[in-house]
Amino acid sequence: MTSLTHLQRLEAESIQIMREVVAEAENPVMLYSVGKDSAVMLHLARKAFAPGPPPFPLLHVDTRWKFRAMYEFRDKMAEEIGMDLLVHINPEGIEKDINPFTHGSAIHTDVMKTEGLKQALDKYGFDAAFGGARRDEEKSRAKERVFSFRSAQHRWDPKNQRPELWKLYNTRKNPKESIRVFPISNWTELDIWQYIHLQNIPIVPLYYSAERPVVERDGALIMVDDERMPLESGEVPMMRKVRFRTLGCYPLTGAVESEADTLPAIIQEMLLTKTSERQGRVIDHDSAASMEKKKQEGYF
Amino acid sequence: MAIKHLSPELLNERRKQAVKLRLDGHTVAVASQQTGLSAPTVSAAWKAFREGGWAAVPVKPRGRLKGQANVLGTDVQALLWQALYQEPRNSLLHLAPGWSSAGLAEWLSTQHGVVLSQRAIEHWWEAQGLKHKPWKLEYLTNSHLANNYLAKQRSQEGRWFRSAVAPVFTKLKDADQRWQGGVRRVARPSGSVYQIYLHGPRGRLLMRCFKKPPKAQDYLAVFDALNSSGAAALVFHGALLSASPEVTDWLAQQPAFWLVPVPADFTLTI
Repeated sequence: MTSLTHLQRLEAESIQIMREVVAEAENPVMLYSVGKDSAVMLHLARKAFAPGPPPFPLLHVDTRWKFRAMYEFRDKMAEEIGMDLLVHINPEGIEKDINPFTHGSAIHTDVMKTEGLKQALDKYGFDAAFGGARRDEEKSRAKERVFSFRSAQHRWDPKNQRPELWKLYNTRKNPKESIRVFPISNWTELDIWQYIHLQNIPIVPLYYSAERPVVERDGALIMVDDERMPLESGEVPMMRKVRFRTLGCYPLTGAVESEADTLPAIIQEMLLTKTSERQGRVIDHDSAASMEKKKQEGYF
Repeated sequence: MAIKHLSPELLNERRKQAVKLRLDGHTVAVASQQTGLSAPTVSAAWKAFREGGWAAVPVKPRGRLKGQANVLGTDVQALLWQALYQEPRNSLLHLAPGWSSAGLAEWLSTQHGVVLSQRAIEHWWEAQGLKHKPWKLEYLTNSHLANNYLAKQRSQEGRWFRSAVAPVFTKLKDADQRWQGGVRRVARPSGSVYQIYLHGPRGRLLMRCFKKPPKAQDYLAVFDALNSSGAAALVFHGALLSASPEVTDWLAQQPAFWLVPVPADFTLTI
């Protein structure tokens, strides 16, 4: 008998979780943020339900501030795989023109991401939402269960989580409650890259190193992705060889200087890194335990 | 090939070959004839083998080991950094687009009484990672070297050169008017240095350093000084200058100065 590699074990676990959700939930959805974790999750979903398409739609909670390359990739992928792609933008955010520059990262994230997600889940009546969060990303994500229950108001109570012994998942929920499910919770960033390489999964080119126009803001390299990015007086963006370890709204996502322009080079870089990819996210530094607070309020 | 023109690797190979021939019983004369080495060299290799075995046969590495050079004193290095962060002067101590090695040597001599050769300064630049090499942008058409240059390359870079650079360069008959440059970050243990570098005719390297990313006025000071010194075209890499209204306004007022930006991720042959 041949034993499974660690990636095959992780893959099998994720597929089992996805099938469990589809069997138990009435109206599941997969949150699609266009990043590498979403790409892996989507690939796993397609494997889990092959030869047919996954029996749930994709939901992208858009903030209007993602990288242009992400929008191009999202539309291309949706067309290629033939899945329903639902895009939701918080109409209140559009009306008030909420943006990271004038309103700050905390308000922007709360209105456009947290509130936007809650609105979309309510609008379509989804009772289970797959998310691509991983335990190694951030400490509040580390303690969250694979099946994370949310109240009717989408709030998370970290002190009231269900045990998941021997990978047995209790999916019972009260009316109007919902579940956030994290099939790749036990994967590490390195596992994700190895799996992408092994399975040849397409990802947004921003993950590969290239010369990009960046400005320095509070020690972070912020890419000038379009003309909406306000430059300081006399500021000139420099072309630097950078890549992104994580992707979000471009004014809130820091790049890292890197020469890794291939998957093996990224994996090699990952083997040497000692910092979390989330260090590049400005929103995680808003205040102490900000991710946990955001999660309690309904952030994914 | 004369022995003094042999590379150390080839010389060592032939010395080993000579020792093998001697071990096979051939005379020094035969070994010398077959390897092309002189008789004293064959004898020296044979003697080295007898005294120290195969490990003793190769010659010792030539030249000084890396890191054993005369290092400039910390006070002189501090002065050089001080100058590079200041407004640049040429060898006549007039305002210049950037510091040249001649300008730095002159400034050190007149301002601080420190005598340092241009060569020493250029070695120091190299050690500090400041010595940027120019790209082969010259518009050669008749030379046998032309294929090495962008003008002849059938790549994306070659097409860019022919469409964006060549039309400008051909308008300028004087090589002194054609410049290339850029901006980059140089990582150092003590922190980042932002360098604007310029390559003038005949490989002249000028530079200016900053502790923070240069602002529009820093670029404009460089371009203005270049323009005043007679340069008419600058191929520039490393900054998105089109995003700066100050730079675009200045360029609009200089119809006789062409700024050609190098597209991102171009591998220009050095």
